[in-house]
Amino acid sequence: MTRRRALGGLEEDIRDHIERETQDNIERGMTPAEARHAALRKFGNVTRAMEETRDVWRWIWLEQLLQDLGYSLRSLRRNPRFAAVAALTLALGIGMTTAVFSVIDTVLLKPLAYPNPERLVWMGEYDPNLQRDIAMFQDFSDWRKQARSYDGMAAYGYRQAVIGTGQGSSDVTAVYVAGDFWRITGARATVGRLFGEEEADCVVLSWDLFQREFGGDARRVGQPLVMNGRPARIAGVLPRSFRFQFPMWWTAAHPQPVEAYISPPPPAERMVQFTQVVAPLKPGIRIEQAQAELESLEKHLVEEAGREPPIPKVRIGPLQEKLAGGSRRALMVLLAAGGFVLLIAAVNVANLLLARATVRRKEVAIRAALGAGRMRVMGQLLAESVLLALAGGAAGLLLARWAIASLVRISPFAIPRLAEAAIDTRVLAFTLGISLLTAILFGAGPAFSLWRANLHDALKDGARSSPGLAGQRTRQMLAAVELSLAIVLLTGAGLMLKSFARMNEHAPGFVPEKVIVMKVRFAGPQYEEKPAQQAYLRELLRRVESAPGVLSAGVSTWFLFDDAPAFPADTTPGQTHLIRVNAASPGYLKALGMTLVKGRWLRASDSAGAMLNESMARQAFGAMDPLGRQLSIPQPATVVGVLADVKYSKLDAAAAPEASVGFEQVPPLNGTEIAVRTAGSAAALAPALRKLVTDIDPSQPVYDVKTLDRALAESIAPRRFNLFLLGVFAVSALVLAAVGIYGVMAYSVAERTREIGVRIALGARRGQVATMVVREALPIAAAGIAAGLAATWALTRLMATLLYDVQATDPGTFLTVAILLGITALAACAAPALRAASIDPTVALRYE
Amino acid sequence: MSTESDEGRVELLQGTLDLLILRTLLFGRAHGHAIVKAIEQNSEDVLQVEQGSLYPALHRLIKRGWIAVEEGVSENNRRAKYYRLTAKGRRQLRAETTRWEKLARAIGRILNPAAGEGRP
Repeated sequence: MTRRRALGGLEEDIRDHIERETQDNIERGMTPAEARHAALRKFGNVTRAMEETRDVWRWIWLEQLLQDLGYSLRSLRRNPRFAAVAALTLALGIGMTTAVFSVIDTVLLKPLAYPNPERLVWMGEYDPNLQRDIAMFQDFSDWRKQARSYDGMAAYGYRQAVIGTGQGSSDVTAVYVAGDFWRITGARATVGRLFGEEEADCVVLSWDLFQREFGGDARRVGQPLVMNGRPARIAGVLPRSFRFQFPMWWTAAHPQPVEAYISPPPPAERMVQFTQVVAPLKPGIRIEQAQAELESLEKHLVEEAGREPPIPKVRIGPLQEKLAGGSRRALMVLLAAGGFVLLIAAVNVANLLLARATVRRKEVAIRAALGAGRMRVMGQLLAESVLLALAGGAAGLLLARWAIASLVRISPFAIPRLAEAAIDTRVLAFTLGISLLTAILFGAGPAFSLWRANLHDALKDGARSSPGLAGQRTRQMLAAVELSLAIVLLTGAGLMLKSFARMNEHAPGFVPEKVIVMKVRFAGPQYEEKPAQQAYLRELLRRVESAPGVLSAGVSTWFLFDDAPAFPADTTPGQTHLIRVNAASPGYLKALGMTLVKGRWLRASDSAGAMLNESMARQAFGAMDPLGRQLSIPQPATVVGVLADVKYSKLDAAAAPEASVGFEQVPPLNGTEIAVRTAGSAAALAPALRKLVTDIDPSQPVYDVKTLDRALAESIAPRRFNLFLLGVFAVSALVLAAVGIYGVMAYSVAERTREIGVRIALGARRGQVATMVVREALPIAAAGIAAGLAATWALTRLMATLLYDVQATDPGTFLTVAILLGITALAACAAPALRAASIDPTVALRYE
Repeated sequence: MSTESDEGRVELLQGTLDLLILRTLLFGRAHGHAIVKAIEQNSEDVLQVEQGSLYPALHRLIKRGWIAVEEGVSENNRRAKYYRLTAKGRRQLRAETTRWEKLARAIGRILNPAAGEGRP
């Protein structure tokens, strides 16, 4: 304010001043020309006066900062190679950390896109067999009626839905939604309306599905369509921005987004329906209060129904935490890994700067001699670091963008909400923050070392820049630190890789690459009765088994119970086992590659036979011979054979207790899974088989056609995601650490050119010189590896939950990584050693 | 005017210009040229203000709040900027004057030890 008033019209003021002086001079008797000349002379340099006047008001530090940045820019432009290497190194670290942060921000930090996200809770009863929390639909109804802690309550569950469209039928992932689902999610229909609680056979489409299958035609809304063979109606369409953000346990098996919301099952089916329950707590109610209320409610319900205790153990938890679930630990490990890569990159750049500092001592000394304050010189050096870090950060952002896009493409459903990850302002702020932090981290040390340096010595001409033993030692130490950081990352990745290998170890005879699985859903009234279904399946088996390239084939009802609770099997009175029951044709088990341990295979003639896997046999009968014993599942069945345990649905879980019965023994089905074992490549045969099955009855949709191999890989998508990221981090760390060691050794050799020249001139053999260089690198490598192993020993425990069947301190992995790092370190100093050995003494001694 | 008339003039010591400006404004507000003219005339043309340094000095004083600037109309009906002493500037002038007198006395004693203590 004052500034503007004072500075406004400065030029006029000065002109006015000179005019007055001229006038005075004329009055003293000068000619006008003389007078003006004298006035100007007396005033002095007008431009400088104005400049100095303006300077009074300027923000000195800002000016200086701009000056420093400009100077740094020129300095970096003069050394483009150094600048590029440093910026790219930083970009790698910053980019990876940013990518992980963006995922963490989306998955863990950003609230759900629903009203009052912080009050949303899930509730249910933990089922150890399924390893997830579930509730019965009946419980949901009771809770909703009687609990007082909530602002409404909703239930939902996975449904595979075949929807009749204009072009035939389409298989989509759907959820049924009940209770206050629409209110809790704050959903509004963009077209049509949302169905009410008591409406049956309604469907609300996602925006994508509406556009894809119905061409966005608003006239279709309100019209009837066929869904899973039943007449239904399109009630409305959700806006494009609406996302289903509740826990989706089914994504491992059905990794497609939820695209249709259908009305709850009819009351008759609800009694046996398992469901997921979510609710917003009333304001002011704490989770513990809600938990206590639910427990007493559950007790009351059990007593009222006259059921026997035990009272089911119900749990309540914040929805956001539940959603992040197991990914929280994994993401934290990945963030730490990204941070390690960044740290290694920063150390690398610090080493580069330290090496350059020797060269720049003279420049700094001259600036100091010309009157630059030490703070000013330091500031300029830091400005250079900041500039490098910002360039690295900008490149890192590009890298992060690419990385996020690839992650989402490779495994969009490995982590809930991953697909929403993007670079937004929060991520940008994070990147800027870590860029500046990194700049201070790698810039302060080298700047300080220059500051301390005796500037007088540096200016003395002829005083060769002496290596500075301390400087070299610092660089060696930093290289060792890099190595140890790299070891931590590599070991982490190694442990995960080993887990991965363990998961993929299959029982002999189980060859998932040669098995095709596909599903058929019975649609339409003609297949509601069992005889029609059986006839269809027999025809299907006949055709598939006789197709060229097929070794064996079978059908199973398995997928109906896919990840669903199994029937209790009363083996001994009063004892119940939760198991999975698979109703299969004899060929199915053989096609999957199961092997018989005991007894015989099921035959088509077995009307009440069952086969158990080893886990089930052990659990139900212990040491007794299971053959010939009775089971009720729930119909009575006799055990005829025992199968070897095979992990054929989930790779990262031990084989669950299972029983197989003939597929004629089950009630009418909704559909079936087909397994086909092929002689050659299964993937090549898949299209032909799909067509073959479709041709039997084109009205019956065939879907989920894939090799068992792929289906299994999808079951461990989160683990593959972790392994992939950690693997990339580890490889980057290894490369950066190798570059670090190389840099230090190459610099050391360059600095000692004269000394080495003298040695060679005095008769040192070239082999000895090379050995000398390697011997200098050995202690660095040894120290780095030892420190790294110690740190790893402490740190890998934190990732124990991410491992499968591998100890966090697996000695084999530790040893392998140590050897790998040792070899890498040696390889990195091979080039400097060779250069040292090839130094020409005559050139070296002339070298100044 | 030729150069010989400049003989006998003394250039201002660094930092004294500020003091002189404040002192000049004690008589009332003035514009830039008038300030220079007043300094020169009051020193009987001994002190020569390097006019180019007048404006940075004025602005330094404004920034410190010792003088204020106001728009005005000059005697020949032209718009001009007038500088005025503020209360803060008045206090500063008092302090500076005391310091300056001490300094001048001390230097005087060194340069001319014969002059008795009692003499003003």
